[in-house]
Amino acid sequence: MKGSLWLAWRQQRVLVCVGAAVLALAAAIAAYSRSGMLDALRSGLFDHCDTGPLYCTQSDTGLPLLLDVEPLKYLGALNIALPVIIGVFWGAPLLGRDRELGTHRMVLAQGVSRGQWFASRTALAAVTTVAVSGALAGVFAWWWRPAADRSYGLFWYENTALSGSGPRVVAAALFGLAAGTLLGLLARRVLAAMGLTLLVTGATTLLLEWTHRTRLLVPPHLYTSAGSTPKPPMGEKWSASHYGLITASGRRDDVMNCPFPSGAELRECMDRHGYVARFYEANPAGDYWTFQWTDTAVLGGLALLLTAATLLLLRRRV
Amino acid sequence: MTGPDAPAALRATGLGFRYRARGGWALRDCGFTVPSGRITALVGRNGAGKSTLLHLAGGLLRAGTGELRVLDAVPGTPEARARVALLTQDKPLYPRFTVADTLRMGEKLNSVWDRAAAERTVREGGIPLTARVGELSPGQRTRVALALALGKRPELLLLDEPMADLDPVARGEIMATLMTEAAERGTSIVLSSHVLPELEQTCDWVLVLRDGRVELSEDADTVRESHTLVTGHADQADALAGPHTVVQRRASGRQVTALVRQRGPLRGDWHVLRPRLEDVLIGYLQAGDTVRPADAERTEAAA
Repeated sequence: MKGSLWLAWRQQRVLVCVGAAVLALAAAIAAYSRSGMLDALRSGLFDHCDTGPLYCTQSDTGLPLLLDVEPLKYLGALNIALPVIIGVFWGAPLLGRDRELGTHRMVLAQGVSRGQWFASRTALAAVTTVAVSGALAGVFAWWWRPAADRSYGLFWYENTALSGSGPRVVAAALFGLAAGTLLGLLARRVLAAMGLTLLVTGATTLLLEWTHRTRLLVPPHLYTSAGSTPKPPMGEKWSASHYGLITASGRRDDVMNCPFPSGAELRECMDRHGYVARFYEANPAGDYWTFQWTDTAVLGGLALLLTAATLLLLRRRV
Repeated sequence: MTGPDAPAALRATGLGFRYRARGGWALRDCGFTVPSGRITALVGRNGAGKSTLLHLAGGLLRAGTGELRVLDAVPGTPEARARVALLTQDKPLYPRFTVADTLRMGEKLNSVWDRAAAERTVREGGIPLTARVGELSPGQRTRVALALALGKRPELLLLDEPMADLDPVARGEIMATLMTEAAERGTSIVLSSHVLPELEQTCDWVLVLRDGRVELSEDADTVRESHTLVTGHADQADALAGPHTVVQRRASGRQVTALVRQRGPLRGDWHVLRPRLEDVLIGYLQAGDTVRPADAERTEAAA
């Protein structure tokens, strides 16, 4: 085992160092940018701002007051792309390079078994992936906290925050690694494996973004308000953009049947159609963790499944 | 390890293998024993199953049917891996590793490692340890791969066409290295090659494969002595097949030349030539192509 770990380190040390460098760079930018953010908050400029999705404006000029969260969003985007990057540049060559060069035959003709060879190189890659992706998610959380769910900051449901932070980043990175490893084993050519990995991990990432948007896995809650009383404020909830009216029998109709925000017109319209309440659908802020754990379960399960498939194929294909 | 009780270097019983469940057999019904301490020539045409057999013995493939034992161990087990070294035909090495790194890898991946032997093998080829493997010539790469195999001090060395990329001088040198290894340490060597004249002087056991079956597994001297190359009139050719086994024959006009496995005295008017090992091997390799259907069965039986 020691010997095969040495080989794994000798072959992956460049990747481990690149991972560490990216992490260090991200941490440095985060530390610098976050301290700037804290200074801005401490200046008192934002003290009068409420939470909620509405912009908070400058009292004298009327311009919206915003923190500079662009760099934070870039880190979130990096975290979202992590499974693709790790899958293409680490997973695909992990077995694919040996398959292409035939070097696994040379290694397996030495004193190590197939199992040791696979275990040590996968373990090193997986441990580094967990460490780097976990640290990047941690850096994001630490950087994001002062600006979280503020009108001048970044709401939990914006995709750079929802998909770029938390445990799902680690699960996604492991999924990318597992997908790349399996495709490397199947494709026999590193370049082909990289292309396939790009396709598969990219499609999976986009698919999960789509499930967020459509609330497929985490259905929104229903918020109702009787009669024409004001609706409960949206606040930091993530609106599903689904508003409507409810009849006495409980039927839900589209909001366009009475497209008035409030007042006599609304009351009159609701009476005419027999509506007794209004509703909207949204996910409360607490659903951040439901989204996180759902994604973590899906991606982690896929990673386990793909690794099991790799192990099964390893006996026959290598 | 060369005494009478020493385990066979290779022993196969009913060995069969195919690459795909529904594909053709790469090896079929192979049964043979190669004693230890021998230098064995593994001969066969392209696709005869030489590489498959060596990969099975090296533990890279698993036997489909029957069994194969290397030094009485199951190929691929830790015990077998420690005692058997395999050099595959493509001699794969990591191109970005230096020669020193490659040998270091051998040291790390094997429980027994003879650094001096490995470095000597490399140095004899004039290869600097700091050179990157990817920048070496194919012949030099072969030498590094061989150093990797010799460094683990194997009891059985399996070499799949080790000489293919080498110039004549390097061939001689590598052969000499292998001879020394075999003589000094009693290492069993199985090497496949298409260069038959080379095998003549070095090998003392021959293993001939044809279409996935074993045609011959015998001591080289016995092979040489028991076979005769006869030339004579075509009329008496059929009389040969009775007592002897006609391995291969070639007719040119009224004259026929045949490679015969002789059993008892030769009757008839024949010009007799004692064949070289190379002639016998070529005879066996060609046999499948030139025998008439009537003779085919007998040739099969002879195997």
